[in-house]
Amino acid sequence: MTHVSVTVGDDHRGSLDGVVANLRASGLQVDQVLGTLGIVTGSAPDGALDALRGVEGVASVDAQLTHRLPPPDAAVQ
Amino acid sequence: MIDPSFPAVPGHPGDDGPAAVRQAETTGRQIVVLADADDDAGVEWGRAGIREVADSRDFAAGGVPPETLDEAQATVFAQLGIAVVTADPGQVAVLQSAESPGRRVLSVSPELVHHVLQDVLDYARAYRDGVDDAVERMLHARDRNADGPGLRAAARFEDTAQATWGIQAVRADSSSCSGRGIGVAVLDTGLDLEHPDFAGRTVTAQSFVPGEQAQDGHGHGTHCVGTSCGPRSPSTGPRYGVAYEADIFVGKVLSDAGSGTDGGILAGIDWAVSNACPVISMSLGADVMQAHPPYSAAGARALEQGSLIIAAAGNNADRRAGRPGFVGAPANSPEIMAVGALDQELAMAYFSARSLPGRGGQVDIAGPGYQVLSAWPMPTRYRSISGTSMATPHVAGIAALWAEATGRRGLELWATLCRESDRLLLPSVDVGSGLCLAPQEGA
Repeated sequence: MTHVSVTVGDDHRGSLDGVVANLRASGLQVDQVLGTLGIVTGSAPDGALDALRGVEGVASVDAQLTHRLPPPDAAVQ
Repeated sequence: MIDPSFPAVPGHPGDDGPAAVRQAETTGRQIVVLADADDDAGVEWGRAGIREVADSRDFAAGGVPPETLDEAQATVFAQLGIAVVTADPGQVAVLQSAESPGRRVLSVSPELVHHVLQDVLDYARAYRDGVDDAVERMLHARDRNADGPGLRAAARFEDTAQATWGIQAVRADSSSCSGRGIGVAVLDTGLDLEHPDFAGRTVTAQSFVPGEQAQDGHGHGTHCVGTSCGPRSPSTGPRYGVAYEADIFVGKVLSDAGSGTDGGILAGIDWAVSNACPVISMSLGADVMQAHPPYSAAGARALEQGSLIIAAAGNNADRRAGRPGFVGAPANSPEIMAVGALDQELAMAYFSARSLPGRGGQVDIAGPGYQVLSAWPMPTRYRSISGTSMATPHVAGIAALWAEATGRRGLELWATLCRESDRLLLPSVDVGSGLCLAPQEGA
């Protein structure tokens, strides 16, 4: 399973529900639908990523990055 | 301080005088700037004895022909609210008179003659001067007194009993703005909600980290909230916060162990935009060179809705070892403002990342990011640390002040920050448009 962010294209932001339904049908386990931004986060089997990219209205599917701070006692943060 | 090794006013050796004191060449005509008018109220030209008036609206898209400009006593450029007028001083006085009915005149100035800027010889001379200047500058780099006229003297800022060096450098201490009524979202490790310096403030806190509360168990988030929104007069120690009356939105997107994923960060951005925060501060990043599509979309859609995302350029440089680093994600998205870090001498902090080649990967602006004193979870209370993470909330706080002062949001706010920043004698790949500055009286 890969954690992904699905960016919905500007032309489909108004019909987000339909895009989300198609994403689910294509294997996305949805964590959050961020309506204000037009982005859906979730996870999917590696083999399903191309299917997600093929869903109508999807602009991009990207593996989530991890952001890590240095420990609290580091001089440079 | 003006370095005696440089002329006070730019000029070429052998010229009869410095360029700046040469008399400007004028045409004898006047340029009249008209006040904005909702209706189509005209200027009462007749009162000033001006009869032949041409209006750009009477001409097709080809514009006003030069003969008309020459022949008419006044030519009005309706789109600009500006007129070119042939008038003597008496007529000018009538036009400017406050009692004059009709559309008000804002200013009258002599029309200047403009020339192509430089011939080839001038260009070569300027090039030579530029090289000479660069050599001089390198020779003088050690004593740091090489700033020319019009540029900030090579001060060394220091923390005082009144204010940290960063607060002084961005001129927050002489600004009349406080960020009042402006929502500033700090997406980080949370805030020490019991910290006495935030007692009585409007704080909205939300965690986007599974299983953790917004309470800061790391310290980084409290430090960043402190710099962007800390109090004007802490009960002990110097002022360290910029927007001391801003509404604080604490979005916890990094865990107490200091890590977070895109999912939580995007959820935090969505929350901040939904809460109509004009400023979103993100002192976080991943060391990847490629702009990350979800952040580009989030940045663009936040801007559309009036929220400006300001992010740390990154600390992956080690300039002491000759490694300039690169701007990481999310700051390398073109739609997100990237902040570099300066030290007390307004030189680059050694860790501050440099612009990537190509679109979006550039540093946009810089802020104080070296040995920055700010809040830390109790009982430590205050700590001094360094990083582009510390420069970012300085810029975010300043953005809140400009949002308050001008009402501007989104891209307009971004442009204002850049326009008003202090240009530095440092490469733009490192500092973008320079040091962010707070709005001052009369600006």
